[in-house]
Amino acid sequence: MAILITDKTKVLIQGITGKEGSKATLQMKNYGTKVLAGVTPGKGGQEVHGVPVYNAIAEALENHPGINTSFVAVPNFAAYGAIEEAIKNKIPLINILTEHIPIQDTAKAIAMARSTVILNPKGEGSPTNVGISNPSASLRAGKLRDSSLIAQNDRVRIVGPSSIGIISPGIGKVGSIGGDDPRGVYSKGSVGVISKSGGMASEISWILTKNGLGQSTVIGIGGGILVGSGFADLMEDFEKDPQTKALVLFGEIGGTYEEEAADFIKSGKFTKKVVAFISGLFAETLPQGTKLGHAGAIIYGEKGSYKSKIKSLEEAGVIIAKTPDEIPDLLKVI
Amino acid sequence: MSGYRAGAGGIIKIAEIKDLRLKIKELFKKTINNEKVERVLVEEAIEYEKEYYLSFSYSTETRGLVLTFGKGGSRVGSHFDEAAKNIDVYPIDILEGFNGENVPDELKEIAIKLWEVFTKYDCELAEINPLVVDKQGKVWALDAKVILDDDADFRRDVKFPQRNLFGRPPTKREIEARKIDEGDHRGTTGSVYWDLPGDIAVIAAGGGGSIVNMDALLAYGGKPANYTEHSGNPPREKLKKLTKIVLSKPGLKGCWFVGGTANFTDIYETLMGFVDGLREIKPKYPIVIRRGGPRDKEAFEMLKEVAKKESFDFHIYGRETPMTSTAKIMKELAYGNTDN
Repeated sequence: MAILITDKTKVLIQGITGKEGSKATLQMKNYGTKVLAGVTPGKGGQEVHGVPVYNAIAEALENHPGINTSFVAVPNFAAYGAIEEAIKNKIPLINILTEHIPIQDTAKAIAMARSTVILNPKGEGSPTNVGISNPSASLRAGKLRDSSLIAQNDRVRIVGPSSIGIISPGIGKVGSIGGDDPRGVYSKGSVGVISKSGGMASEISWILTKNGLGQSTVIGIGGGILVGSGFADLMEDFEKDPQTKALVLFGEIGGTYEEEAADFIKSGKFTKKVVAFISGLFAETLPQGTKLGHAGAIIYGEKGSYKSKIKSLEEAGVIIAKTPDEIPDLLKVI
Repeated sequence: MSGYRAGAGGIIKIAEIKDLRLKIKELFKKTINNEKVERVLVEEAIEYEKEYYLSFSYSTETRGLVLTFGKGGSRVGSHFDEAAKNIDVYPIDILEGFNGENVPDELKEIAIKLWEVFTKYDCELAEINPLVVDKQGKVWALDAKVILDDDADFRRDVKFPQRNLFGRPPTKREIEARKIDEGDHRGTTGSVYWDLPGDIAVIAAGGGGSIVNMDALLAYGGKPANYTEHSGNPPREKLKKLTKIVLSKPGLKGCWFVGGTANFTDIYETLMGFVDGLREIKPKYPIVIRRGGPRDKEAFEMLKEVAKKESFDFHIYGRETPMTSTAKIMKELAYGNTDN
């Protein structure tokens, strides 16, 4: 069945007339993904690779009410506006390719998505939504809007920013993941992959495929400080997915998403086998605060260190791979 | 700039003005937490009654903004110090803003001002430490620190100089490498470049894979001369420029061009750019190349031709060879096979 991208996925491309948007559109169509519409303000009426372009999302939705996924490929300065528009139109899944979005904009988008309730397929919000269906509703100042009251599948989900995309091999893909032809690297199977790095999502999937291990869904969550979906958020879906029998995580130093994944497993909410590869010992040899390509791979104090991540994952029973090439053997050994 | 300066002798109190010159001279001779002292701030010593820590930053735990506040001051290293006692972290609803919640009345005004600075200038951190209150109830910020979000440079009207992270000014190569991406958004090349003390030149691909490979090189005992990465399908010219900068370093014993199996970076184009750079530098040392992805077969054919014609010492590996295993190959070629 896979997660996030299924045979029911119907995609809208935001920034479809741009270089990245148009390229990804063609790739996604070639892979069999249903791309229904695109949006670029001021370019409504055009077509990109046979996909109609609209000026606004509302207009695209009127003509294509089946849209349930948006792919954001607009420049960083325009990203917040684009994401906000997708959230206000309650598109359930928003995958953001755009890199270098200011962290303030990402924080706003995440806060907005978390408190925005989408309708379930029956056309109703779930009972837990009562009273907080207004996106701007929040608890009194000084506290977070209590998004924990809203079940994950009832609110708008963001994957990214800086996400390479999501692929369910053999079913479809959103984003640049797999490039023009994902078939050589990604293959259908029962291993889920969640990666902070797009390149490592590809490298790990290739290593799995080479060793006869196909993938259920592979997700690039992005390497930024703040991401819409962390490891644990997606593990909730992988736990429920019957196709997924085991999971591979690619993590890095910095942040607390790996520790969060470990806590999620410790609390009994994830019961499938997990193999993790964590990188960043090199980064720890540099002065604290040194910026590398992934903004999230940054260390201050002990928090988010390699040691802390390995320790918490091992305590949760996760098998740690020392090199990416060990992963297939570690998955096979029970 | 280093935290924990007080403990490392970086903060000195003088009783009389005549001691100032001597003490400043002493400070300039010092290295505080591995950073050379370049500037000294002289300020009035304030007698205070209460001492606090106050900052705004982002937290991966709440996936949003947090206020960090409590009694502390110079004893607290920084916001990120877990050992800090009496310091609490309060989530802030970024869509609602901050109106002085969770700080005492006498500090509300300054807290709100700091919040305004934090949001207006797109900071990742804005910190006042220590924040003190004197006998008259007057509030003083005795020291402060900000970390700016580089991704918001486009909307910040004030331009700030590069931070000196390595306790030294940026090197010529660091400055040159960062210019490659200026005004050209096709892929990322050289925006991240750091000179390191080793002798193996590294041109790595991918924000994630590059670190994985650096981990491997260090684990096998290789000494990198630099760290740099490229990603997002940069054009040939950018790789040429980067290659020339990386290989301009004297005393190199090898060059490692390494990356995983790319999703969409054109391997032929990027390796052509690398070769363009090599043709100008003409290095004699071993060059280990490991790469996979779109057009990799074409790229390897081209490399073999080039190696023959220009007599480069190429060692070419594709996606069938584990990426990190080429770290060992590089190290052995550069330093001789010391393990056997």
